[in-house]
Amino acid sequence: MVQRPASAHPNALPAPRRAGATRLRRVLLGLLGVAAFIALWKLAYVFNWAPRGTIPDPFVVPAALWREYSGGRLIPAIGSSLVHYVWGLGIGTLLGFGIGLLAASLRVFDDAHYMLARILRPIPPLAWVVFAIAWFQVSHAGAAFVISIGVFWVNYFATASGVRDVDPRYYELARAFGHGGFFKRITSITLPGAAPSILSGVRTGVGQAWMTLIAAELLGVPGMGQEMNSAAGVGAYDAVVVYMLAISLIYTLSDGLFALVENRALRWRP
Amino acid sequence: MTARRKALLTLDDVGYRYPGSDRLVFEGLDFSIGAGEFVALVGGSGVGKSTVLRCVAGLIEPGVGRIDTPSRTDHGTRPSAVVFQDTRLLPWRSIRANVGYGLSGLGLSRAKRDARIDEVLELIGMAELGGRWPHEISGGQAQRVGLARALAVRPHILLMDEPFSAVDALTRTRLQDELLTIWQRLNMAVLFVTHDIAEAAYLAERVCVMRGTPARLVFDEAVPAPYPRERDDQGLNAFAQRVAAAL
Ligand SMILES: Nc1ncnc2c1ncn2[C@@H]1O[C@H](COP(=O)(O)OP(=O)(O)OP(=O)(O)O)[C@@H](O)[C@H]1O
Ligand SMILES: [Mg+2]
Repeated sequence: MVQRPASAHPNALPAPRRAGATRLRRVLLGLLGVAAFIALWKLAYVFNWAPRGTIPDPFVVPAALWREYSGGRLIPAIGSSLVHYVWGLGIGTLLGFGIGLLAASLRVFDDAHYMLARILRPIPPLAWVVFAIAWFQVSHAGAAFVISIGVFWVNYFATASGVRDVDPRYYELARAFGHGGFFKRITSITLPGAAPSILSGVRTGVGQAWMTLIAAELLGVPGMGQEMNSAAGVGAYDAVVVYMLAISLIYTLSDGLFALVENRALRWRP
Repeated sequence: MTARRKALLTLDDVGYRYPGSDRLVFEGLDFSIGAGEFVALVGGSGVGKSTVLRCVAGLIEPGVGRIDTPSRTDHGTRPSAVVFQDTRLLPWRSIRANVGYGLSGLGLSRAKRDARIDEVLELIGMAELGGRWPHEISGGQAQRVGLARALAVRPHILLMDEPFSAVDALTRTRLQDELLTIWQRLNMAVLFVTHDIAEAAYLAERVCVMRGTPARLVFDEAVPAPYPRERDDQGLNAFAQRVAAAL
């Protein structure tokens, strides 16, 4: 056999060291991108690209973080937002999952509700804020209500389409092996078969909830949204940035956590 | 030799029409399978072999005629079990869990179920691979697992729908021999659907041929060769030619 250096072959796989090098390159370029953004931001601040005082100096953000934290505003705001988040996400996810499952597995229910779903679906969650205030006043419940609406639709569609897409041949298998009954069929075929879609719906909801959360809180329910609003009111835009970064961090953490759960549950996938 | 055995499964003038279709797939199907008998059902593509199998497995109700299947079963068994052409392993279950799929609901204890799974995994030579996911095994191994899943419920009759048609020739030959060994060890009947005449003649004690629209049984004869058989046996080849003529 003719020996030749691997690199000489046109189809040679990149050596493992090359893979490590590309990863390092990626991280370095990523950091460079962030640095470039901060530089641009600093320029915008120095040369007043926006109305004076509305762009904070990026380098005072750490100080603003300390101010918000030691002033006893940051942690309670995060805590309050998390309460809305968890309730809104939980209720929206459970209802969306349950009704989506029903819609996809019960013909009567599907027929009876599809038109209503089509009417309600296009209404943006934030349009419900008016009713949230009317029904729940400015309260945790109101914010959770608004959040749950957006989350509901995401999960409803993900579950319903996941369940509809389960390969019907698996149902034949279930019957052939004595699992044709409703409960056995749902637990042994429908739910595991639809799990990838259901879980990706849940994960989308985990992100979607943050979008509506802040908007709902801007109306005055205590939380990060409200803190941002009041900080902006006194021109403390650096504090606004602090809350933005806090949201980014919490989202990254919650999404990463859920990704772990998802990968664990779907580890059977190739 | 067939007539001496107690009939396990009897089809009496059976016909079937798919809902919404205006023609019968087959009609006047009359035959029976004895306990422990190995019968091959041969026919061209689309003639209705899979439909017959579905009727026998109780997955669909024949519109015409009646099917008598073993109704009363012993504890911890099912009357029949199906091996599908597309293996139909559940991708979210491990190999072990796939093999045990038919065992829940039979009133077996956890330990008994585990013992059954071990036993059939051993039988198909895959004792080591029980912890894998279906996407981590080969096509031939997947077919073996499909067979093990059916064997686990200790069926009186094993219903096989072109189980080896999707694997390569070498694997197929090996699987055929494994199936014969297993059949001879376990006391169960086999209804084996295939469009491969040589396969039918090599495996079965009796070969039935379906033909026409609606399809009928046009051939039903015992294979004139004792086991173990040679693949190039003169008698088998002559028999295969007669089956081919009936097709
Ligand atoms: N669900 C169905 N609804 C209506 N017609 C069907 C359905 N399934 C199969 N058929 C029709 O019934 C006939 C028999 O189909 P079947 O699958 O039993 O054939 P087969 O002999 O198993 O063919 P193959 O060797 O290709 O698997 C075919 O003409 C097919 O088009
Ligand atoms: Mg078929």
